[in-house]
Amino acid sequence: MAMKAAVREDGSRLSRLDRGLYRIESWLGLASGLAVFGLMLLAVYSVGGRNIMNSPVPGYVDWIELIMPLIAIAGISFAQRDGGHIRMDILIGRLRGRLLWMAEFLSTFLILLVMILLVWGTWAHFGRSFDWSAPNFSRDSTIDIGLPIWPAKLLVPVAFSVMALRLCLQLWAYGRAIMTNDAVAVPMIEDVAAIAAREAEAVSGAEPRS
Amino acid sequence: MTATDIGMYVSAGMLVMVVLGMRVAFAAAMAGLVGLVWIFWSRKGYAGDEFWWALEVATKTAGQVPHGKIASQALSLIPTFILIGYLAYHAGFTRALFDAAKKWVGWVPGGMAVATVFATAGFSAVSGASVATSAVFARIAIPEMQENGYNKRFAAGVVAAAGTLASLIPPSAILVIYAIIVEQDVGKLLLAGFVPGVFSAFVYASIIIGLALTIPNFGPPVRGFTWGDRFRALPGALPILFVVFIIIIFIYNPFGGDAWGTPTEGGAIGAFVVFLMALWRGMRWPAFREALLETAKLSVMIFSIIWGVLIYVRFLGFADLPGVFSDWITSLEMSPMLILICILLAYAVLGMFMDAIGMLLLTLPVVYPAVMALNGGEFVSAADSTFGMSGPMCAIWFGILVVKMAEFCLITPPIGLNCFVVAGVRDDLSVQDVFRGVTPFFIADGLTIALLVAFPSIVLWLPSLA
Repeated sequence: MAMKAAVREDGSRLSRLDRGLYRIESWLGLASGLAVFGLMLLAVYSVGGRNIMNSPVPGYVDWIELIMPLIAIAGISFAQRDGGHIRMDILIGRLRGRLLWMAEFLSTFLILLVMILLVWGTWAHFGRSFDWSAPNFSRDSTIDIGLPIWPAKLLVPVAFSVMALRLCLQLWAYGRAIMTNDAVAVPMIEDVAAIAAREAEAVSGAEPRS
Repeated sequence: MTATDIGMYVSAGMLVMVVLGMRVAFAAAMAGLVGLVWIFWSRKGYAGDEFWWALEVATKTAGQVPHGKIASQALSLIPTFILIGYLAYHAGFTRALFDAAKKWVGWVPGGMAVATVFATAGFSAVSGASVATSAVFARIAIPEMQENGYNKRFAAGVVAAAGTLASLIPPSAILVIYAIIVEQDVGKLLLAGFVPGVFSAFVYASIIIGLALTIPNFGPPVRGFTWGDRFRALPGALPILFVVFIIIIFIYNPFGGDAWGTPTEGGAIGAFVVFLMALWRGMRWPAFREALLETAKLSVMIFSIIWGVLIYVRFLGFADLPGVFSDWITSLEMSPMLILICILLAYAVLGMFMDAIGMLLLTLPVVYPAVMALNGGEFVSAADSTFGMSGPMCAIWFGILVVKMAEFCLITPPIGLNCFVVAGVRDDLSVQDVFRGVTPFFIADGLTIALLVAFPSIVLWLPSLA
């Protein structure tokens, strides 16, 4: 389970900015989680409507298509802040101190380049769907009940832009760590045992009754 | 330089970045972007002023992927399954399951260890997260096994091994991911996982019973429970069985007639039941919020790899690397079965160092078409095929084999994650202790995989009915 990773905080401007952005990211993450819950309720309602009342929910698939980007992409920066995105840390986990911060700086920089290009690419994808003069500003719509698709497409460059902001902040943090050898506002690599202990603690916390 | 050369350089570059620790999703997306730019630019003869044109076309091609590929109903199954798992923790099912398993199967030789296998398998079914399942059962089951006179290394091995059953028994997120990448029927793959998953659990149980019968004082049966005790222990554990049952019923209607709905709907009903149970057992907003955030985080991690890899796949299409690799594989002067076994062994090695989801997503776009080609193509009939099964059935069989292989790697040295987790949770156990304790199950898994390869009908029987 992906619990909160250790991110050190202090009173510096960098750490304050980190916490501020994390608040926004957490909201996006919660929106994404609520969307999963909404998807579940929608499916239960759809099954009930079809089998019990004999009236299927109109546009069930259309709504899923609109909700999916919220679930799949809105929380991208939230996961990055906590060091959640999957990686192979067998080599990088062996590095310590400045060497580690330099390696992290380089890989974060490359991810930032990718995200900037993808903000451009996904914005263009949204641009082809959005039209000020069209009904609902939309050039395309879902197949069953004709919902406009552009809001779902717009969400992608917005989430990627927040991610790019997070990456800039992490670059700053790694740069600072290279100079001072003191890392704040970035997830620390933990060994497997530490992760395991944290997970067990979190899971046991969910076991109030025996 | 040909497009295939570019494909090979870029893929090698991507693997280097992944090994160096770049996050898999972005390493794949970067490889896709770089590869697309390179191919488009090469078509213009690398003229200096055409670079920006190539960059723009590549970026806009890649930019369609995240939204275009993610907005699909089939993929909505993944977050639903993840939600079930996190809600299940907050419903406190683990102890209830262990208690029920102990009362129902404790009387067999090695009863407490067998109960641990079934309780863990049951919980794995709803959680789908092997590592966390092992962590929580390490706390519950190991002390009880030790009290009953089990060797602590073996007790730890039981927990580490049983945690791996998660990925086959429905609902399994990893099988859904496989189905999406290879464009096969999600429902049939989920069904296909059921029998091998339960089969693996029974193999584990048989090994424990065998050891208990041959080694004196190994692990005594736990007796003294009345039928009343047994039935009273059931209600706490029933929702888990209900979730598995409802998902299977939604995919394959055993009463005849049409299926009741889609797998997503089955998953949603399961999640709803677990949600109600969690509410009933005292879950309130803070715990619910935590479950939602965890679901969101794990979902976005998986989806990021999916769209990242799909950008890479789009580039692979231009480079025709899968086609060249398939031609090479089919031209080898070796028996196709031997080639398949070599591919599975390569996964075993790779899985020792890499997360299962990342490993499958990165390699399948190239390896899967080659395996299909070995069998005689995607649309081959069973009669004309190499392995004696049709194209879609071969896809299901191979999927179950690689997923079982990936799980096998969770208990193999040097970085078998489940073993580290159990050792991390218990202060009195070293990782070496757990690796030693898990050895019988390691051998059992090797045997299970050999049986699944030799007798594909174990995998294909249930999906062939649907």
